[in-house]
Amino acid sequence: MENLLSVQNLTKRFGAVTANDNVDLDVRKGEIHCLFGENGAGKSTLSACLYGYYRADSGVIRFKAADALRLGIGMVHQHFVLVENFTVLENIIVGSPDLGILLSKSAARRKVEELCLRCGIELDLDREIWQLSVGEQQWVEILKALYFGAELLILDEPTAVLTPQQSDQLFVILDGMRRQGLSIILISHKLREVMQSDRVTILRKGKVVATVETSTTTAEAITALMVGHKVTKRVSDRSVTPGREVLVVDRAVAIGEWGEEVLCDVNFTIAENEILGLAGVAGNGQKELFEVLMGVRTLSSGGFHLNGEAIVAPTSREMLDRGVGLVPDDRFREGLIPEFGIAENLVLGWQRKPEYRRGPFLDRGKINALAAHKIDEFRIVAASADLPVERLSGGNAQRVILAREFLHARGLLLANQPTRGLDVAASEFVYEKILEKRAEGFAVLLASEELDDLLRLCDRIAVIFKGKIMGIVQPGETTLLELGMMMAGNASNLGGQVNDFSSKALRQ
Amino acid sequence: MAKAFSSLIVGAFGSQKALLGSLAKATPLLLVGLGTVIAFRAKIWNIGQEGQVLAGAMCAYWASLWIGPLPYLIAVAVLVLAGLAGGGVLGLLAGVLKTRFGTSEIISTVMLNYIVIFLLAYLLDGGPWMESGATVAYHQSPPVNAMLEWPTLFGQGAAKLHFGFILALGATALSALLLERTPLGYEIRAFGSNPTALRFRGTDISRLLLVVMLVSGALAGLAGAGELFGTSHRLRAETLLGIGSSGIVVAMVGGLRPSGAMLAALFFGALKSGAIYMRLQSGTPAGLVSAMEGLVLLFFLCAAVATRVHITVRSEAHA
Repeated sequence: MENLLSVQNLTKRFGAVTANDNVDLDVRKGEIHCLFGENGAGKSTLSACLYGYYRADSGVIRFKAADALRLGIGMVHQHFVLVENFTVLENIIVGSPDLGILLSKSAARRKVEELCLRCGIELDLDREIWQLSVGEQQWVEILKALYFGAELLILDEPTAVLTPQQSDQLFVILDGMRRQGLSIILISHKLREVMQSDRVTILRKGKVVATVETSTTTAEAITALMVGHKVTKRVSDRSVTPGREVLVVDRAVAIGEWGEEVLCDVNFTIAENEILGLAGVAGNGQKELFEVLMGVRTLSSGGFHLNGEAIVAPTSREMLDRGVGLVPDDRFREGLIPEFGIAENLVLGWQRKPEYRRGPFLDRGKINALAAHKIDEFRIVAASADLPVERLSGGNAQRVILAREFLHARGLLLANQPTRGLDVAASEFVYEKILEKRAEGFAVLLASEELDDLLRLCDRIAVIFKGKIMGIVQPGETTLLELGMMMAGNASNLGGQVNDFSSKALRQ
Repeated sequence: MAKAFSSLIVGAFGSQKALLGSLAKATPLLLVGLGTVIAFRAKIWNIGQEGQVLAGAMCAYWASLWIGPLPYLIAVAVLVLAGLAGGGVLGLLAGVLKTRFGTSEIISTVMLNYIVIFLLAYLLDGGPWMESGATVAYHQSPPVNAMLEWPTLFGQGAAKLHFGFILALGATALSALLLERTPLGYEIRAFGSNPTALRFRGTDISRLLLVVMLVSGALAGLAGAGELFGTSHRLRAETLLGIGSSGIVVAMVGGLRPSGAMLAALFFGALKSGAIYMRLQSGTPAGLVSAMEGLVLLFFLCAAVATRVHITVRSEAHA
């Protein structure tokens, strides 16, 4: 088959670090080609070189058998680059050179409508971006790339922000594009998506480990190639049963910045030795719920009890003192002081604790000793304990937070998307630590978009949609599909339309 | 040219008298600079030092009119506290406007400058503090009670160093300890880097902001009180205006570190002191020194940007 893109011996270094080491890659016309690897394996660097954001130090990139770059490669970033109050059409055509001085939208509209038809995208071109769901915004990004004549589309972790159903829709669209002869590079670390590609190139530490036809391999084999050894996925020890109730949330209602209800009548309990999962698409009230429980957002009605005591108008200080640990979803914004080193971040929130003080001063010696110990225990990779944490990778930054919370929390751990952006090995480390806490008797609230993980780790799973708990289910009695339906707001309407991709996903 | 520079240097360091004059000029700059360092490290942009210097001087002057016969040291202590309180309250006011109404401290502190400047103009210009018997043109208060002048460390007359210099050195050491070694300093630095995380981790950030504004304003106020009772002995706007803005420059050039602010204050104090001699000797306008202050700040800011570019290039390797 004809190669649309061929990369030979591409090397990209940043200082002493080699991000891409003699990488070879070819992408055929009309295929979905997955780039698969752990964080820091070099996927994003490679795609940035292809897209022209970085210049490779050495190596050859041939596109359409010519030394031409930039022409016909489109990129869809993880974070969308759209103008909120422009319409779909305007966003697609903005920056197009052939519009002239006076915007002539009618010709552009015809072209975009034709593109939509070819790819099977149904989208009202006159709606403004803010009115669209995240999934639809992503389609706009794709259309934008196609409008500019992309023949090769690079998608960077496209499903990170989507529901399972939206992801399936995306793959239907990608499938349509493939049939039109377009090529797609899909960057992912989710196995389910990898298995839907035609071929997969696995990267490890900047090197290509293998390129395999997806149909001739298994998910296990690909994972083993990615990490270099077999990963054992931990599961919850079902013989430990929950004890007395630690957290009781009772008819909690919270109002958002615009007067909307961000939490409506939320009720649940978590007991000792129990992990309650919280499934939902990001932005459905998870963040607000965690903020309420952490004392940084007030409820407009309802309340919650901790260890049998009613918590009235709490502050974050009070919640910390009551032994609540928080692993926030936005770790650099809510969990860390970016300019501080690991040592200082390990006592964030506890800087006034007598234990870390000598007289009126911080006991630097003790804090540094603690840091040395935790760097070792949590296997944090850092040049020194004083290195600003903003320079750490996501996985290492998360370990700093875990080390701090596991040291100070007593009884209740709140973890919001603790594995977001982490690779398989780092995620398993986080889960291992959370399961340890469960065994110690902690009550854990674990919100995640990784439904497979929730199903194997949690004792029960609550599904949240638009601030409402749609239901609380038992992992053993629930399928991924049912969870997905509830996450989309259908409490009971199960068994609706199931397309090829989700059933394929379920078989794995 | 050479003559101007040599007279600048002679004027700043040429004799014991010149040196004392330089240190005396450095004293208020250092105090204001330290207050600015503390606020700016928290990325709280208190730029109302001009008003806070005046408020400190005015509050101390007002206190000097009211206190009866007290033992000398206690009286001086009262004036020190009054200076701290005057600047501190003005800073705190801007802080309250921010925490209660979300007013940008950049706007409120500058606006408060005007209020204080015009209040002083009223008080000295036909108001209750005008020198009795003087014409309106002087815009100054009568001399302060000679019994309340701050003790002199060295020198006499125009070139003397009052004990505010010791206070400034002490404040330098305390500020450095505060920022680098105490939990409060930890919170101040953390606030500058990421106030959201600090709020999530149990610190009342509104209270912290008020504390920072209070301390920052108080140090500026002390500078004003020191100038009044240590150097000029008359409340007069012209002798105080400019200290606040130079103090901000001192903090910036000092790299937002107390020790750096001390070096910068000594440097700019010497410039200010030498400028007078330079004008006398070579006829070079003293205003040139103010321009130099601006130029030095610009160079330091450029240098800071240049080092940051360097760091970014290297840190890419860790990404």
